[in-house]
Order: sequence, then C-alpha cells, then structure tokens
Amino acid sequence: MLALKIKDITFKNPIMVASGTYGYGNEVSDFVNLSKFGAIITKSVTRNPREGNPPPRIFEVSSGMLNSIGLANLGVEKYIEEKIPYLNKIDTNIIINIAGTRIDDYVETLEMLEGADSKHIGYEINISCPNVKEGGMQFGVSPDMTKELTQELRKRTDKILIMKLSPNVTSIEEIGLASQDGGADAVSAINTVMGMSVDIKTKKPRLSTIMGGLSGPCIKPVALANIHKLFKTLDIPIIGIGGISNCDDVIEFMLTGSRFVELGTINYKYPNLVETLVDQLQSYLEEQSIDHIKNIVGDLMIENK
Amino acid sequence: MIYNEISKVIDNKEIAENIFEAHLSSDNLSKIAKPGQFINILPSSSFDKTMRRPMSLSYQDSNSFKIIYKPIGDGTRIMRSWKEGDSADIIGPLGNAWEVSKNKEAILLGGGVGIAPILNLYNNIESTHPSHLFFGARKKEEHFIDHNPDKNIYISTDDGSAGIKGNLFEAMKSIFDINDFKDKSIYVCGPPMMMEAVRKFSVEHDIECHLALETIMACGIGICQGCTVEKCSDESSTDTYRNKYELVCMDGPIYKANEVKTCLL
Repeated sequence: MLALKIKDITFKNPIMVASGTYGYGNEVSDFVNLSKFGAIITKSVTRNPREGNPPPRIFEVSSGMLNSIGLANLGVEKYIEEKIPYLNKIDTNIIINIAGTRIDDYVETLEMLEGADSKHIGYEINISCPNVKEGGMQFGVSPDMTKELTQELRKRTDKILIMKLSPNVTSIEEIGLASQDGGADAVSAINTVMGMSVDIKTKKPRLSTIMGGLSGPCIKPVALANIHKLFKTLDIPIIGIGGISNCDDVIEFMLTGSRFVELGTINYKYPNLVETLVDQLQSYLEEQSIDHIKNIVGDLMIENK
Repeated sequence: MIYNEISKVIDNKEIAENIFEAHLSSDNLSKIAKPGQFINILPSSSFDKTMRRPMSLSYQDSNSFKIIYKPIGDGTRIMRSWKEGDSADIIGPLGNAWEVSKNKEAILLGGGVGIAPILNLYNNIESTHPSHLFFGARKKEEHFIDHNPDKNIYISTDDGSAGIKGNLFEAMKSIFDINDFKDKSIYVCGPPMMMEAVRKFSVEHDIECHLALETIMACGIGICQGCTVEKCSDESSTDTYRNKYELVCMDGPIYKANEVKTCLL
C-alpha cells in the first residue's frame, strides 16, 4: 500500500529524512528503528572537508528555525572510509546528498562515491544551499547551469539522481525543467527559505552570516505553492520537503503533487517521527479505502470557476 | 547508549526565589548518566516550539533524576506548571562528563541555575574527594544552600545580602590565594561572563579548570551541527572538519579551559 518506485528502485514507503537533519544514521541508532524509513538522505558531502560557518549557527524563530551551518562536513574521502560501512548495514535506501562549488567538485565527489563499496541507491544534488557562497546556489538559480550539472552527473551514474531545488528563485519551474531535461530522475523541493533575525538588545544579527536558511512549519505554505507549480510543469516525481510535522501534512504534500516527502527540522524534536507517520499513513489509507498511496499523489480538487 | 523515554514528574517545587527543582522518573537513562551530562527535554506533548530544551542533571539515582531551572523561556514556563504524574519526553544522557583529577582538591563554582551540573558532581565526589563548593546568586532569596565555611561550602551574592559579597570569581579569590591553586582544579558552570573570567584566569595562571558550556542546541546528538564552540585548534592538522569548531552537544558540554577560545557563546 505504501511502497513506491523511482526508476527500478522500490521504497518501502514515501517518507524519507532530509539531508542535514539525520546526520549519517548512526547518531540515533540507539533509539530509532531505521529500517522503517523510506530512505535516509545523508548530510551534504563535499569534495574536501569543510569546517563550516562560525557560531552562532542556529536560532529558533516562530514555528521554525534559522540555520547557517555552512555545509560543515568531513569530505568525501572520510565519508567513504568512516560513514559508508555503517550506512551499508542499514536496511533501507540510502541517498547521498552532494554539494559543491564547481561542476568538477560535484563530478569528482560522485565518481568517488560510484567507486566506493557502498549500497546507496542514489544521489540528491544540493544546488540550493543559501548559507555558503560556494554552496551550489549559483547552480540553483540558473537553468543553464542546472541543466549542465545534471547532464554531467547523469553521464556518470545509473543510480537515482535527484536535484534539490531552492525556493529563493524567480521561477522554480524553470530550474525544475532544466533538471528534468538534464536527465534527473526526480526533484526535491524546497530547500530552506532565506531568512534573518536580529537581537534588538545587541543590535546584532542572530546568525554569524547575517542571513540563513529558514525551515520548519512556518515554510510549509511556501513549499506547497512551489510543489504545486512544479507538479503542473514536470513529468518526473517530486519529493516534497518543507515544514512537515504530522501525517496530515504528509497527505497535504502528496495531494499537492509530492510522490515522496522528506521530514526535516521536525526530526530534531521527534527523532522517532518517521515510524509513527508510516503507521498513521497506513491507517489513513485503510480508513479511506484507498488501495495505494500513489492514488492520492496530485489528487487535488480544483474547481473551475 | 542514548535513550528516548517518557519521564513522569515525581515532584516539582520552587526551592528559592523563581528557581525550581523538578524530580522526574527514568527507566534507563538516569542509571547510566554521569555528572556533567545533560538531557534534551520536550516539556509537554503540545509544546509547539521547534527545539527541545537541553538541561543538565543536578541529581540522579537508579530510577530518577532532578533538574534545576528558572522559568524565563517558553519551555521552562511550561515546566513550572508540571504536576506530579505529568509526562515529559526526554532524550539522554547526552554529551561528555566531568573528569575529576584524583590528586587535586576540587573547587566547584556554580552560578545561578548553572549550579545544576556542579551539584551533581559535588554530591558524587564530596564523600571521597576534598571539595570546596561555591554557589553564586544575585541575592539571598535566590539561594537554597547555606553558607557553611566549616564544611567548605560558600555562597556569594552580588548585593552582599548573604555569604560573600561579589560574584563567584571574586568569592573564590577571597578564599584562595593564587599559590593555593597548584594542587587544586576548578569545575565551573554559570553565567557566560563569569565563566569567561574564570577561564581566562585559569589559562593565565596555568590552573586546571573544567567548564560546562551552554549554548543553543537543536538536536543535542551531533546531527544539526548548530551548537559550535571555537576550540584552540591543532594548527598542524590538515583536516579542517571539526578542527576549528567543536559541537558542544557531543564533544562537550565539558571542556578544559585551555581547549576552547571563549565561553561567550
């Protein structure tokens, strides 16, 4: 009832965890049953290690949080050495999120992962990190560069290729189409929304980088609007992200056109939420006598007036 | 091992002016927690904020623990209304623990609700280890421990209404001469400015000093990478990841004074 495919890969259910909100899986293995997950998308990995941005890096705002981590990560070589052995043991689909500065960075990182002894089934390509100049954002705002990057990566892998889109653009449809034309198997949307907060006592911005990425329930309507636009435009599956925190949200995202969803910021508060939502989604389908989850994807009722 | 469990409130009371102590049950985590470690709390199932609230343990036994808090934020205000039998969703124990230097006397400094991890340490080592406990607050009404120099327990107040007048740092210096610190180590938790003064003093005089840092945290388990502190990095290392910044939730919250560049997070 819940199983879905992208290309020839089956996912147990449509619920994934978003990059950067679930580390590398091992952090929560003491108290979370990872085999229940549709997929785990690991934290962005880059060609070389990155120390990340100076503190403060996070701040809580109304119904959400701001972050500016700056893609702190151990680099692809150590990722392969230290993280993949554990990820290989998890009984669910692993998708590796890659970020970069130049096309060569993405290509080299992907090629090294292709050559690794790893069971990952695909890649999510971060072309939309708002927190570092070199976080791929220049790709994420340009249809031409998005298409070129997608093509270069497509040439080098048969695994699932997902482009992660930013809402901080004029037309997300154009970036989505460029991804599709370049050969992507799916898009995920949305990455964080550019945001800011100020401490009025010190007059200082709350984040060291002044602006950062806004996430959490407050961005859900922004995500839905972007997914609606993409669903009308694209033929490839959409993986919806942005402020999902309960089963109703999952259904809302699917009705709007998401075939899969990613849980993000909510994982910090409820690290065990995936398991709960998978069970609730199953019950919802049974109660509503819906044969399969795919039947609700894009089943939005819009009256013609 | 990290547990995610539902704790029941055993008791919740005001122990000094606007300072509360909650006693909660625990199936597993309090058994294995060590002084200095913390938990990440969801104060109620309807708590609508994005992040859990990290809190140090002030006491623990095989099936319960205590926390000390001041109801000033969204989370702690809900905690103030906890009644016996109420539930809280907790994750822990998290972070590292105090490392006690066996051959040195302990000077323990706790400021305000920062006393929590200090008290836990004190209760753990006091019977076997020469210890000097200092508890600082703004005024007499905020104290819940008696000034008792005969037992090496000192309290300080900013306004001089009880114990030694001045902040914790000044109180400590009024009892110990600079030469006294050779065979002693300092353990401190409290307001960042006070901690920073103690950190600088310790580094300058080469005194062994352990700090329990506090900062904003989202996950508490090393995932979000939000709770960084700049450390005195290994210049020779070519690996930039986690060389300049450490994660307070996982690598800390306890650091030696010479390991971090600042307590002002």
